[in-house]
Amino acid sequence: MADPEPVQQTRRIKEFALAAGADVVGIADPRRWDEHVPEGCRPDDILPRAASVVVVGTRGPTAGAWRSPDHRVMEVNGYDFRNDAAIHRVADLIEHDYDRYAIQAPGLPTAGHLPPFSMMLAAVLAGLGTRSLAANIILNPKYGLLYYSACITTLELEPDPMLEQDVCPHRMCVESYRRFGKTPCLAACPVEEGGCLDGSIDADGRIDHSYYDRERCVSRAMNFGINSFQKALADIVAEADAERRDTMIHSDFFSRSCSAITHYKESVAQCFECMRVCPIGRAERKLQ
Amino acid sequence: MSAARPLDFDAARADLDATARRSGALLTGVAAADAFDAAPEGRRPGDVLPRARSVFVLGGAQPRAGDWASPNYQHMEVTTTSDRIQTIALKMAHVIEDRYGYYAVCVPPGVDRGQQPFVSIALAAELAGCGSRSLAGPVLHHEYGFMYYAAIVTTLPLPANRPLDAPACPAPECVDMYAEAGTTPCLKACPIEDGGCLGGRIEDARVAERRYDAARCATRVQNYWVPGFQHALKETLKEPDPEKQKMMLFSSLFTRTLWSMTYSNVSQGQCAECMRVCPVGSARRRKQ
Repeated sequence: MADPEPVQQTRRIKEFALAAGADVVGIADPRRWDEHVPEGCRPDDILPRAASVVVVGTRGPTAGAWRSPDHRVMEVNGYDFRNDAAIHRVADLIEHDYDRYAIQAPGLPTAGHLPPFSMMLAAVLAGLGTRSLAANIILNPKYGLLYYSACITTLELEPDPMLEQDVCPHRMCVESYRRFGKTPCLAACPVEEGGCLDGSIDADGRIDHSYYDRERCVSRAMNFGINSFQKALADIVAEADAERRDTMIHSDFFSRSCSAITHYKESVAQCFECMRVCPIGRAERKLQ
Repeated sequence: MSAARPLDFDAARADLDATARRSGALLTGVAAADAFDAAPEGRRPGDVLPRARSVFVLGGAQPRAGDWASPNYQHMEVTTTSDRIQTIALKMAHVIEDRYGYYAVCVPPGVDRGQQPFVSIALAAELAGCGSRSLAGPVLHHEYGFMYYAAIVTTLPLPANRPLDAPACPAPECVDMYAEAGTTPCLKACPIEDGGCLGGRIEDARVAERRYDAARCATRVQNYWVPGFQHALKETLKEPDPEKQKMMLFSSLFTRTLWSMTYSNVSQGQCAECMRVCPVGSARRRKQ
């Protein structure tokens, strides 16, 4: 039986998570969800008597992948599921060594387009990052964009404080906004020019308002995935000319859409431009 | 890593080899990034990662001896894929960046536009001395025979291997058989002149000519993956009788094509007959 002291077991679990592949790990008190989400979407609704939520984040694409001049490399190779693998190992450790319930928090939609448990909110509440102007992506102060997974457990752990200072906007972006009325991400995808992002920064250098056109973003970021498959399939089924239909079925577009919905390590998103220009975490992506 | 101390590239290579093997790779090799003259422009390491110096190749995750021994050929269809070696490669790309501070990007296992590979992993394996092309097509290793490969393009200038001096194929047994019967085990298993996919000639114990009908092979090997799904969809949509169409949608073939595309670990290839009879590495496929 491992040491029952919350401080020591928290330290052990964090070290274990990092060794299991996580780049960052944080702990949230389940009561923090109460003021943010309705009943039914809180840790206790998914695991009764939930006492802690462990959140891990991983970088996904390597710095080399960000530098590739072929944007398709990131599309096919961006995501390696390390966050899921790490959180499963954490959950196993808690059940095995501490004899407490532990589950992977469900991050994928079960009905509609909303997940039962928001990984973005979990990351914020565990002190790992804050929302950004760029599509509300949660940015970590050290790494910027991360992929998150969470484990809900009945084990009592020491929660981390939430970040007091916003990660976004970066001071460089505040400066850019004051000079040009834009930040790098807003300039990369401006809503008034057919893009997805808009926002403003107040006199204190904080986000005043942010706008994100999710539907438009999906139509660009998810060219080869479930969405494109559904769209292509609808067109194929509606095509009356059998010969044309065959061509559509065997087209490069449909083949890639099919490939993207397989477990073939295809990314679920094909646009990273707002993150490519983001200065947060850029130092971590500069190598030899 | 200390900036003051120059990196020992031999030691880095030894460390990466050892780490990859500890992670599950059976063998490793390195190809110089500028050795890919045989690849068309746009499909070379530098096209994936600017300033690429090396391509680190990992081999392994091949079907186990037990898989080959199974009398149920469908067992191999649903259990062996290149996923395992690709997962190790994704991890190793992060190891190169985190440990040595050089860019690293995994060569995507999928295909780019026009069904072309980003960088040929088979060519990388050959150049890294991990094996040589066979009459049957796959790159074979002297000792292990058929295996799956993954490749990482990196700016780290690792000491490179050379292509094998003596090719793994044809094996001495095949040279003898060819001298006697004018064929080899793989050519006999799938003769191109008899509706199969393979043909070729051996001279001076070396492959002098190789013929491979890739299109025909795909129709046999990829019965239940994306091409199988496309074919089943085409036939289903062609069917004018709604009752029959419904039966086709719920048929075993259609169901299995969908399974094979999902996260169910179904292999993308369903024919391994040319490899089943290959003597290269066959000693490793014999157990008690």
